[in-house]
Amino acid sequence: MVTTSRLHVPRTPARPGEMPDFSYLQLSPAGAVARPEASAPARDIGALSLELVRVLDDDHVAKGPWHPHLDPEELQVGLRHMLLTRLYDERMQRTQRAGKVSFYIRSLGEEAVSVAQCMALRPGDMLFPSYRNQGVHIARGMPLVDLMCQLLSNTRDMCKGRQLPVMYHSVAGNIFSISGNLATQFPQAVGWAMAAAIKGQDHLAASWIGEGSSAEADFHHALLFASVYQAPVILNVVNNQWAISTFQGYAGGEQRSFAARGPGYGIAGIRVDGNDFLAVYAVTRWAAERARTGAGPTLIELVTYRVGAHSTSDDPTRYRAKDDHRHWPLGDPIERLKRHLIALGEWSDERHRLLTEELEAEIAASWKEAVAYGTLNEGPRLDSGLMFEDVFKEMPPHLERQRAAMRQAAASAATAARAAAASAAGASNPAKD
Amino acid sequence: MSDASGEFVFKLPDLGEGTVEAEIIQWYVNVGDSIVEDQAMVEVMTDKASVEVPAPVGGKVLATTGAPGDKVAVGSPLVVIRLAGDTAQAGAGSRPGAAATPNAAAAPTAAATPNAAAEAGVATSFNGGTRVKTSPANRRRAREAGIELHSLVGTGPRGRILQGDIAAASERLGAVTGSAGAPGTAGRAGTTLPAAATLPSGGASEPSSVTEIKVIGLRRVIAERMSEAKRNIPHFAYVEEVDVTELEALRQHLNGKRRAGGAVLTYLPIVIAALVRTLRLHPGCNCRYDASRGVLLRHTAVHVGVATQTPDGLKVPVLHDAQALTVWGIETRVRELAERARSNRATREELSGSTITVTSLGKLGGIASTPVINAPEVAIVGLNRAEERPVVRGGAIIVRRIMNLSSSFDHRFVDGYDAAAMIQTLKEFLERPATIFIPEDNRE
Amino acid sequence: MAQMTMVQALNSAMDVMLGRDPAVILMGEDIGYFGGVFRATEGLQRKYGEHRVLDTPIAEGAIVGTAIGMGVNGLRPVAEIQFADYIYPGFDQIASELARLRYRTAGDFFAPVTIRTPCGGGIRGGQTHSQSPEGIFTHVCGIKVVMPSNPFDAKGLLITAIEDDDPVIFFEPKRLYNGPFDGDPGKAAIPWSTHPKGEVPEGHYTVPFGKADIVRAGEALTIVTYGTMVFVAMRAAASLGVDAEIIDLRSLVPLDVDTVCASVKKTGRCVVAHEATRFSGFGAEILSIVQEECFWDLEAPIQRVAGWDTPYPHAFEWEYFPGPERVATAIRAVLERT
Repeated sequence: MVTTSRLHVPRTPARPGEMPDFSYLQLSPAGAVARPEASAPARDIGALSLELVRVLDDDHVAKGPWHPHLDPEELQVGLRHMLLTRLYDERMQRTQRAGKVSFYIRSLGEEAVSVAQCMALRPGDMLFPSYRNQGVHIARGMPLVDLMCQLLSNTRDMCKGRQLPVMYHSVAGNIFSISGNLATQFPQAVGWAMAAAIKGQDHLAASWIGEGSSAEADFHHALLFASVYQAPVILNVVNNQWAISTFQGYAGGEQRSFAARGPGYGIAGIRVDGNDFLAVYAVTRWAAERARTGAGPTLIELVTYRVGAHSTSDDPTRYRAKDDHRHWPLGDPIERLKRHLIALGEWSDERHRLLTEELEAEIAASWKEAVAYGTLNEGPRLDSGLMFEDVFKEMPPHLERQRAAMRQAAASAATAARAAAASAAGASNPAKD
Repeated sequence: MSDASGEFVFKLPDLGEGTVEAEIIQWYVNVGDSIVEDQAMVEVMTDKASVEVPAPVGGKVLATTGAPGDKVAVGSPLVVIRLAGDTAQAGAGSRPGAAATPNAAAAPTAAATPNAAAEAGVATSFNGGTRVKTSPANRRRAREAGIELHSLVGTGPRGRILQGDIAAASERLGAVTGSAGAPGTAGRAGTTLPAAATLPSGGASEPSSVTEIKVIGLRRVIAERMSEAKRNIPHFAYVEEVDVTELEALRQHLNGKRRAGGAVLTYLPIVIAALVRTLRLHPGCNCRYDASRGVLLRHTAVHVGVATQTPDGLKVPVLHDAQALTVWGIETRVRELAERARSNRATREELSGSTITVTSLGKLGGIASTPVINAPEVAIVGLNRAEERPVVRGGAIIVRRIMNLSSSFDHRFVDGYDAAAMIQTLKEFLERPATIFIPEDNRE
Repeated sequence: MAQMTMVQALNSAMDVMLGRDPAVILMGEDIGYFGGVFRATEGLQRKYGEHRVLDTPIAEGAIVGTAIGMGVNGLRPVAEIQFADYIYPGFDQIASELARLRYRTAGDFFAPVTIRTPCGGGIRGGQTHSQSPEGIFTHVCGIKVVMPSNPFDAKGLLITAIEDDDPVIFFEPKRLYNGPFDGDPGKAAIPWSTHPKGEVPEGHYTVPFGKADIVRAGEALTIVTYGTMVFVAMRAAASLGVDAEIIDLRSLVPLDVDTVCASVKKTGRCVVAHEATRFSGFGAEILSIVQEECFWDLEAPIQRVAGWDTPYPHAFEWEYFPGPERVATAIRAVLERT
């Protein structure tokens, strides 16, 4: 009996060899989407979750009610942060390929998401990023050396050698620790925000996950609790269209926008052009005001494109059309802000070139400093005994014993290695045993 | 099995490993005693081990067979017991009690005997012997008391050794030596002179007396084996002197270089190493004779018996596969074996399987001796005293360090020429010790 | 001092801590207005308000996840999982996040969360209300696991748990909420009001982690146990008239190895008893440690009494529950003459 399956399988627009096709994107013209009050009830503003908030049009002119009217200086700061993020990413990617770092994840094409959102928040707001939000560390001024030492797992590693590269954190910068498990930070951010509310503070929490991760139960948990307790939290779904090789259709994006899940839980949902610095800033500012004034949480879907691979362990040419990002209708965030500033007379290609040089030099100097603290293969190394610390606040006796056993085994191995090297080097002496 | 009148005739059970008879050492019960099941009735000695035989049932002892020193065949009646009405087992935690204070002439419970005895009916493989079943705590008790677990017959289920079995053995040890359970001194129990007996303390005015010492136990076994060896084997002796000046220099040099706490080399390990090389060229001296089949077994591996004087008497622990060990390995292992032999911890495997024996009394070694071959081997090499002597070299008298080798051979299988050739080869190795350590030339 | 049931003792612990430390908050399903399905949080929302005693949605993963976020923001959350059988949706947040946060941030971030949850059978609750999953959590590095067997320990341990900066899973044997239970369902229930361990100080006190309690000293054998099985073991030993030393571990991680091993070295005979299923249960860990540390003192093989390796059946409660008969069998076996 021949049967034909009736199961629907989401369609991926452009596989290798095919013409990139982004016609599935629901776009709105720049400036076309209305801007309600930050305190507007969620049930009245559902349309925001299906439209696309844009400020910069295709000619890099800012328009519409979401225009944040930022000072050129502030935009230049934003441009600098984004450019530094990109250059840092490029350099670190190269070090991974050169074998000096074991693993790296770039945020190429998504710099505005982290930088603009971070700049729209206050230093006291707690950030719960994913592993592709390194821009928040840059925007909050975290020293590059610190980030690099974490990548190198060296003697100055903030994680003392325990984490994979790019899993940064900062207490001073109010940036929470990055987990390898997806979406776990979402309900944690909501809890943090609930605590802030309980304490009567006006700090808020912001968290980021990819659209692929929004499939996890923790996404639901976060929205539910955020809604039930009206937690002062901004929940961001960065829809960069891809989760490794899996197109956003498999996370539900084929049927409905991710922002639209917000109104389903009774919270505000906004969909924004993630490559438009001004729009991202504006929408985040709106959500922050909403949270701080007690009007509730916001789910923001940032529509962007993952230009690079998922990580250094991934090769996207195997599942999507090569150079498809050139066809991305919403452009490149750095390019667009640069063009906008130039159009305002507040920037130039020359200044951009100079800035690039300056930042590259800064990165190079930081790298030189960082490797002095050790690399994977050379230089000072962390004491392996550290692996037994911080499991609990106080080290329990069984871990002390295990640490001693580890040191013993390492010592024996070293002695055996020396003996093997010695006997390989010289003729065997029968008188010796 | 019991008969209709309620009497149980207990026959000497097979005590393991093909024992055919055992010698009675001492009785714990007397005729007329009431006994309970599992209570120790009598101690008997097989070729190798001393064993307590427990009562299979409770009741009253009607008759016993044999006195200490008598030999009883396996399967022959030993005790007649009138069955009690109640044959319930002793409750948890209680032990089979010894009915009588152990006799001062008790034989050792340890298993250590000359390896010839160990071979009687026993498989001599490396992993030979069955595994002893007992709890970890009992293993520790036995170890601390210096009791060889293999020497005990367990009275627990499926032959498991119970705490009571060890306690009883330990008690006897303690009663004889006056110090129960001290490792290393447990061997004291094997002396042929009973502790209770006193010797004349000397002095001309002392009246003379005669002390009767029963030849039983370990001493009896040694006596039998020695007689047998001499009776069956036509010994001939060959004595040769060896210039060990260079050997001594090498020994001093190596000992000077050793790490603190490292083993100190005596001659013996180097002699054994040389013997290994020698026997490769003279395999006819590395044999065991199987009289029952009339077959001479020529071994390629060299298992060296090392005659060792212990408080119990002479024992010969075996350095198995000497050909696989370095000089240091031999030194360490010989030292370990001697220790274990002296403290009664040597296992069955460690006391059997030798293909040649070496005997040395060191400074007490005399200038020549006639060692008795350790049957069923065909040769034994004895080391006499090493000392400075004047010798003639190149027409001049100089002083060299000389040690004699006094060896005995089985003339049925080793001709004079072969014996002499073998000793000459050994001598050559020992006089030029470097040659011991130079690998063979395979082209020959 | 007052006579309290275990439920009242737990309530008292939370009351004391809510009063003492403004950072403490409670959260869980039905715990607020209703006071919890077992009444453990009765009256606390009335006393401390809805902002400190929170009713939550039915989402164990979210309860744990948000508790972590609160802990990072300086609160000291005490989250209730209504039955240990329902803890699994929260397992990822517990094992992947809560247990590792301090470690992966080198101590920069930590979440002092206590998760309370009723466990164990003997209540005809079937497979979704009777499980004892403590063995799954003892295997996760970075969390502490405790299980009291009486009101005095329950209150003291819960206060210790709340004050501890490390995450704690606090298992409450629900069969013991109202009185000790020795495994005989036919007997009339005994209340805590007549039991010495039902006498509980009303104020603040702690019972330390990592310290086992010798509930009965003895010389003949050692019984290592926790939870409801403490009383089952006592009954079994009494019925045989054996001089058993009975150890209530009460703290599984950290484990009081010294007390257990000193006892086994003394008696040479050991029985391990727990309600949880046998294969790969926590008892296997105790047994392993006893074997490693006390081998040369063991007179007999270590015996283990545990739940059968099946889901917890409803109709066969008393054949499933490891009652005093099964413990007695183990005691007899370990006392065999060796």
